[in-house]
Amino acid sequence: MANFKDWALQYVLSDEEPAQREIAAKAAKEIESSGASRTVVGNWAASVQPWMTRAQSDHDDQMDDGEDGGGGDIIARAKALGFLAGTLETLDRKLLKTDQVVFLVGFFGAMFSYDHKAGITASAKALRQLYAMKGFKPDMGVKMIEDVSKLKEDFRLQTASTRLGIYELFLGLIQDPAVSSELQHKYGSSCGFTVDLLQLCQNERDPRNLMLWFKIIAVLLADYSTSTEVTEEIFKAVSAYFPISLRSSATPIGITAKDLKGAVRACFSAHQRLSTLTFPFLMQKLDQGDAVTVAVKVDILKTTKACIEQYENPQTSVVPHIEKIWNSLKYEVRNGEVKETIEATLEVLQAIANKLDGFKTQKLDVSLLKSYVDLVFKDCRDDLANPTYTKQAGLLLMTVITSNVRAYMLESASFVGCIRQNFRQPKSPSHTRDLVLILNSFLKARLELVRNRSQGHPEDEKQLKTEPRVHLDALFHDVYLGIWTAKANEPNSENIEILKQVTQGLALLANQQVVQQDGSSSLLCSGKICSEICTLLTQCLVKGLTLSSNDNTANDATFEEEALLALRSLVMVYTPAYEEFVRRATTEIRSRDWENASSYSLDALKSVVSRLAFVGCSQIPSRVASDTTSSKSLSPLQHFITLTTAVLEIFPLSAPGPGTKALANSYAIAGIHAALLFFRDACTAKYQPEAVVSYSKSDKNWIEEFGQLPDDWLQKLQVSGDETLGALNEDDPEVYRQFLRLSLYVVRHLYRTASSGTQSIWTGRILGQLADIAALVIRNLGEQLQISCNLAHEAFNFFAGPQTQPSKHISTEPFIELLTRGVLEGLWPGAMVNLYNPGGIAEKFLCNTDGLEPFLGLQSDIRASIGSILANKYKGGPSTSDPESQTVKRVLGFWGEQINKATTSDGTDPKIFQALNNIAMHIVAGAAARQDKAVIDLIPVFQAAIGSEHANSETVARSLGTLVKDSEVLKTDNHAVIRRFNKQWAYSHLAKPLYPLASPSADGASAAMRYRTAILSIVSNCPFNVYEADVEPLVRLLITTLTDRSGLSQRVPSQRLVSALEILVEILSNEPDALKGHLKAIISGGMKIYEECLPENQDEVKTGGKAAPRRNLVMARKLVLQVLGAVPKKFEERYLLPYSLQLQRMLGLSCGDPVREVRQIARFARGNWLKVV
Amino acid sequence: MQKSDLENANPTILNVSQLPSREQKRAIARHGPDSSYDHLLFSRESSSDTPSVSENDGRFEHVFDDALDQQEIYDLISTVSDPEHPHTLGELNVVRLPDIHLTPPQRDPRGLATVLVELTPTINHCSLATVIGLAVRFRLEQALPPNYRIDVRMKEGTHAQDEQVNKQLADKERVAAALENDSLQSVVNTMLKTCIV
Repeated sequence: MANFKDWALQYVLSDEEPAQREIAAKAAKEIESSGASRTVVGNWAASVQPWMTRAQSDHDDQMDDGEDGGGGDIIARAKALGFLAGTLETLDRKLLKTDQVVFLVGFFGAMFSYDHKAGITASAKALRQLYAMKGFKPDMGVKMIEDVSKLKEDFRLQTASTRLGIYELFLGLIQDPAVSSELQHKYGSSCGFTVDLLQLCQNERDPRNLMLWFKIIAVLLADYSTSTEVTEEIFKAVSAYFPISLRSSATPIGITAKDLKGAVRACFSAHQRLSTLTFPFLMQKLDQGDAVTVAVKVDILKTTKACIEQYENPQTSVVPHIEKIWNSLKYEVRNGEVKETIEATLEVLQAIANKLDGFKTQKLDVSLLKSYVDLVFKDCRDDLANPTYTKQAGLLLMTVITSNVRAYMLESASFVGCIRQNFRQPKSPSHTRDLVLILNSFLKARLELVRNRSQGHPEDEKQLKTEPRVHLDALFHDVYLGIWTAKANEPNSENIEILKQVTQGLALLANQQVVQQDGSSSLLCSGKICSEICTLLTQCLVKGLTLSSNDNTANDATFEEEALLALRSLVMVYTPAYEEFVRRATTEIRSRDWENASSYSLDALKSVVSRLAFVGCSQIPSRVASDTTSSKSLSPLQHFITLTTAVLEIFPLSAPGPGTKALANSYAIAGIHAALLFFRDACTAKYQPEAVVSYSKSDKNWIEEFGQLPDDWLQKLQVSGDETLGALNEDDPEVYRQFLRLSLYVVRHLYRTASSGTQSIWTGRILGQLADIAALVIRNLGEQLQISCNLAHEAFNFFAGPQTQPSKHISTEPFIELLTRGVLEGLWPGAMVNLYNPGGIAEKFLCNTDGLEPFLGLQSDIRASIGSILANKYKGGPSTSDPESQTVKRVLGFWGEQINKATTSDGTDPKIFQALNNIAMHIVAGAAARQDKAVIDLIPVFQAAIGSEHANSETVARSLGTLVKDSEVLKTDNHAVIRRFNKQWAYSHLAKPLYPLASPSADGASAAMRYRTAILSIVSNCPFNVYEADVEPLVRLLITTLTDRSGLSQRVPSQRLVSALEILVEILSNEPDALKGHLKAIISGGMKIYEECLPENQDEVKTGGKAAPRRNLVMARKLVLQVLGAVPKKFEERYLLPYSLQLQRMLGLSCGDPVREVRQIARFARGNWLKVV
Repeated sequence: MQKSDLENANPTILNVSQLPSREQKRAIARHGPDSSYDHLLFSRESSSDTPSVSENDGRFEHVFDDALDQQEIYDLISTVSDPEHPHTLGELNVVRLPDIHLTPPQRDPRGLATVLVELTPTINHCSLATVIGLAVRFRLEQALPPNYRIDVRMKEGTHAQDEQVNKQLADKERVAAALENDSLQSVVNTMLKTCIV
C-alpha cells in the first residue's frame, strides 16, 4: 500500500514523461507480481485517494462557486489519475479479472459525470486500455459509451488530443462485433445511443478528430440499421459539414482538404438509406447557381457520383432521383464554361448509366437504362440543331450513350441518324465543326467499347456481335467525304479547322472494328473505303511534289500534320494503304527532274521522304483482319520493308556532275535513315528498353546468312512476304531482333553498292550519311552479335564477301573511308580486338600518311575521326591479339616521330603537315579519352615541337586543344571508352607543365607565345573546374594575350584571342575575384580588341597579307562585350568608376555594330554600365 | 489605379503572335511530328562536301551582316509597357512597324542617321501620350549608338493635341528636365522593365 501511495506521489510531483512512465511501469510490475490480487489492486486504486477526496470537495465547491475550482489541485488530480491510466497502459492485458475491469470501468466512467476538468484525459486513456483487456465484456462497452456521452457540452472543452482518444475509443467499440450486437440488443433498431453521440460531438472542428468522427458516422450508417429519425439526425450532423474546407495552417498536420472531403463523401455514400436525403440535399446545393464556387460544385458532383456508385439496390435508391439529378446536371454542361465542372458532371451521368446497366456479374432490367437514355435523348435532340448548344448537347448524349455497351446498342443508331440529319442542314460552319467533333468523339468512344468488350459482362460481347452497322457504314460517304469535298475547295482558315476535324474523324472511322460471330474483330470499313480515305490523305501529303511552288499556296501546316497522323493511324490497321502511299509518293518523285532541282522541289522531297518514314515506321502495325484477300502474311516489319525497297528502287534520283551536292540523292537515302530511327524508337516505346537490349543479342552470323540470300531478297520479301517475319506477332520483342537483322542487311547492301559504285553518285555527303546509318544500326547490336558477324573485319572490307582481301578498296572514291568510320563508330571495343594484332590492319591504318591528296583537309578529317575511334576502342593485353599491348604505343610513337621531324627539319610542307598533325592529334585524343599511359610519353615531343623555332610549331601549339575537345565520334552512345576524369588527366599532364614556359619573362618571346597558345587551346576546351586551381597563373597569361598581340600572323592571334576571351568569360562567371587586380588591363585591352576587330579596322591588324577569318572577328567582338558587360555585375562600384565614362562611350558606339547579335550584347553591357554612377 | 480611372478602359489588344517579328520573314521551318530527326537527317550541309578546317568548328555560322533596320527598332520599343495597362506598346498597337522610318535607308555604320517613330495613342485625348513618347525616346537613346538622331512624334491626326505633344518631345532640354524628375523617371523605369535587351 505504502509503495503505491509513494509512487502516486512521485508521479504527481514528477514533470518528466520518462520518469512518469518508469513509475507507472513499477506499479504495473507490482500488480503483475501479485497476480492482480484483490488487495494489491485495491491498494493501487486507493493510492490516488488523497487527491480524489479533494476532488470531491472541489466538485462541491464548484457547485457553489461556479467555474472557480482549485486550479493547482486539478493538475495534481489529473496527474494522479494519469498514474492509474499509465499503469494500465503497461499492465499485462490478460491479468485483470472481469470484476476488476468492471470496477475500473465504473470508476473511470464516473469521471465523465463528475470530474470534467481533471479526469477526462486520463479516464479516456484508461478506458481505451480497459477495452483492450481480456476481462472486457461487451456490456462494459455499452456502459463506456453511455458514460462518456454524459460529458455532453463539456466535451468540446477538452483538448483536441483528449477528444482524439475518445474518438478512437468510440470507433473501436462500434466496430467491435460483440459490442455492436450488444448495442443493437439494448437499443433496438432505433440506435438511440447515436443521438447522444451526435450531441456530444456535433461541434467538432479539429481536422484530425473530424477524420475519425466521420469514420464513426460512416460505420454507424453502414453497419447499424438506424431508424429513419436517427438516420435523419445523423445526416443533419454530417450535412452541416458539407461542403468542407480546410484553412491553411503554418504547421501542417498531415491532413488535407481532400482527405476531409473524401471522409464526408464516405458518410454520404455509406448506405442507400440516405438516398432520400442526400440527392435532394446535393441537388439543392447545386441549384444555388452562381453562389457555388467551382471547387464546391466539383465536390457536390463527386459526392453525387460516389453516392450513385456506392448505393445498392439502384431501383429504390437511385432511380427515383434520376430525373431530378438530370434536370439539375444538364445545365452544368449545357451552359457550363468551366472544364472541371463539365467533366465532373459527365462522370455523374456516366455513373448513372453504368449503375442502371448492372454489375459485371449480373445485369439489371434493361427498361431502367432505356428510360434514362430516352430521357437524355429527348432533352438533347433539339439542341443538336441549335448551333449555340450543339457541342454541349452532343457531349451529353455521346457520354451517356457510350457509357456502356447496352446503352450504346439502345441508342447509337438514332444518335448517328440525328447527327446525320443535322449535317444535311448545317446552320453555320461552326455548327458543322461541332457536329464533326461530336461524331469523332462518338467514334473514339465506340473504339474503346469494342476494345474493352471482354472486360465486362459476357452479354456485352454477345450484343456487339449483333450490332447493326448500316448507320456506321454510311458515315464515310454521307458525312465525311461530303464535307471534305465541300471544304477542300475553299481552304480558308475556318474550313481548314473543319478539315482537320474531318481528318481526325477519317482516322477514327478507319480504325473502327466490328466483332465477328466467332469473337474475332475485323475492320468496319471495307477495303474500298479504306483506300478512298488513303487517297484523300495521300493527296494532301504529297501535294508539295504534285504541285509547283506557285500552285501550292501555303496552307496551314497543322492540317498536313493532322493528315499525317491520320494516315499513320490508318496504315497501322489497314496495311495496303501504306503501299499505296509509297507508290503514289515514289511516282511523284520519279516524275520530277532532280538533275537541277529547285530548292522548292528539294524541300518538298525532304517532307515527303520524312513523312513516308514517319507514317510507316513510327509505330508498329497491328494485325487486324480486313476484307482484303492478300496471299502474303502481314508482318510488323512490312512497312519498313516496303519503304526500304521503294527507296532503293528510286535511288539514285540523279547522276550529278562532279562538284554538285546531289542533295536529292542524299534526301532519298535519308528516307531509310529516318525509317530506322523511327522504327527503333517505336520498338523502344513498345517493348521497353530492357527488352530491346536483350533482343539485340544473338550469336548468329547474319552476314554469312545474307551471303546465301538472293540479291533481290528485299524485293521478294516485299512482294511475297516471309514465313518467319509473317509469323511474328506485333507484341513479341523478337520484332526488334528481326528489325536489326533487316537493317543490317540494308546496310550491307548499301555498302556493297557504294563501294563498287560510281564516284559521281556516291558523293562524300551520301557516303557520310551511309556511315551514319551503319553506325546507328551497328551500335544497337550486342557485342556478341557484332563478334559473330565479324563486323570489325567488314569495317575495311565493306561487306564485299569472304573472297576479297581486307583493306583493298574496291573503289577509288576518295571519301570511301567514311564507310570505315560508320562501322567502327558503332562497334563495341570487345568486338574490335582482332584489328589490333601487331602490324595488323588497325596499325597500318593508323600509321598511314599516304593518299591524302587531292582533298587534303577532308581526307585528313576523315582519317582523323577513324584514327580517334581506333585509338579509343583499343583493348590490349593477354588473351587479345596484342598480348604485349604495344600497338597503340607504337602508333603514338610513330606520330611523335612525325611531329618531331616536321618541326625540326625543313622539308615538310606546312599544308601537308597541318593535315597530318590533325590526324595525329585526333589519334592521341582517342587514346587520351581512355587515359592511355602511352600519351604521357608524347608530352616531351609536344613540348619540344612547340618550343622549336619552326614554321610548323605554331600548328602543333594551336591544335593541342583537340586532345581535350568533345569529339563527335567519341560518344558513350557509340560505346566509346571515355574515362570520367580524362580532361583533368590530360590537363594536368599536358597544360600544367607549360605554364613556366609560357610566362612572358621566359626565354624566347615567340616560343613563350606559342606555349601560351597551346595552354589557351587546351583550357578553352575544358570546363572551369578542371583548371580552377591554376586560375592565378592563367589570368596572367590571359592578360598578356589581351595586351600583347605583336608578332605571328593575324589568323593565329585571332584564334588565340577568341580562346583567351572564352576562358575569361568562364572565369568571370565562376571566380571573378581572381580578376580583381587586373580590371584595368582587361577593360583597356578589351576596348582595344573590340576596336581592332571591327571590319573597317581590319587593315590595321592585318599582317602578312592575310585577314583574320571573319567569324573569329565577330566572335572576338561578341566575347569582348560579354566580358565587359559582365564586369559591373561582378565587382563593386568603387573598382568600376574610373572606367565608367570611357566604357559607356565605347559601348554606345558598339550598339551600332554591324552584326545584330553583337549589338544585342552591346546593349546588355551598356545597360549594366549605365547603372554604375 | 481603379478600372474606372483608366483613360481608355477597354483598348484593342493584339495577340503576341500577331505582332511583326523577324521570324515571320524567314522561311517557315518544318515542325510536324515527322521532323523530329531533321537535325540528323538533313543537316549535313557543312560535313563532307565543304572543306572544314578543324579549328573553325562552325560556331557563328548563322551570323551574317545585318544592319540596324526598322524591325530592330520595333523590337526595341514594342516591348515597352503601357503606363496604365498591363500590356506592351506593341500589343496595344501604339507602336507600329510601318510607322518607323529610318533615313537614309542604306547607311554607313558610322554615318549620321535619323530614326523617326510615329506613335498612335489608343484614344485621341490620351494624357499619357507624352509619357509614352518620353519612354520610347529614352529607350532608343539607351539602345542606339550616338550617330542616330531620334525623333518621336504622335502620328498626324491621332491625338487631339499632337502639335503640343510633339513640341514637348522634340525639345531636348524639356526631355532632359523631365528625366530629372524623380516620379517621372520612376514611371519610365517601370515602363522599361519589360524590355529585353
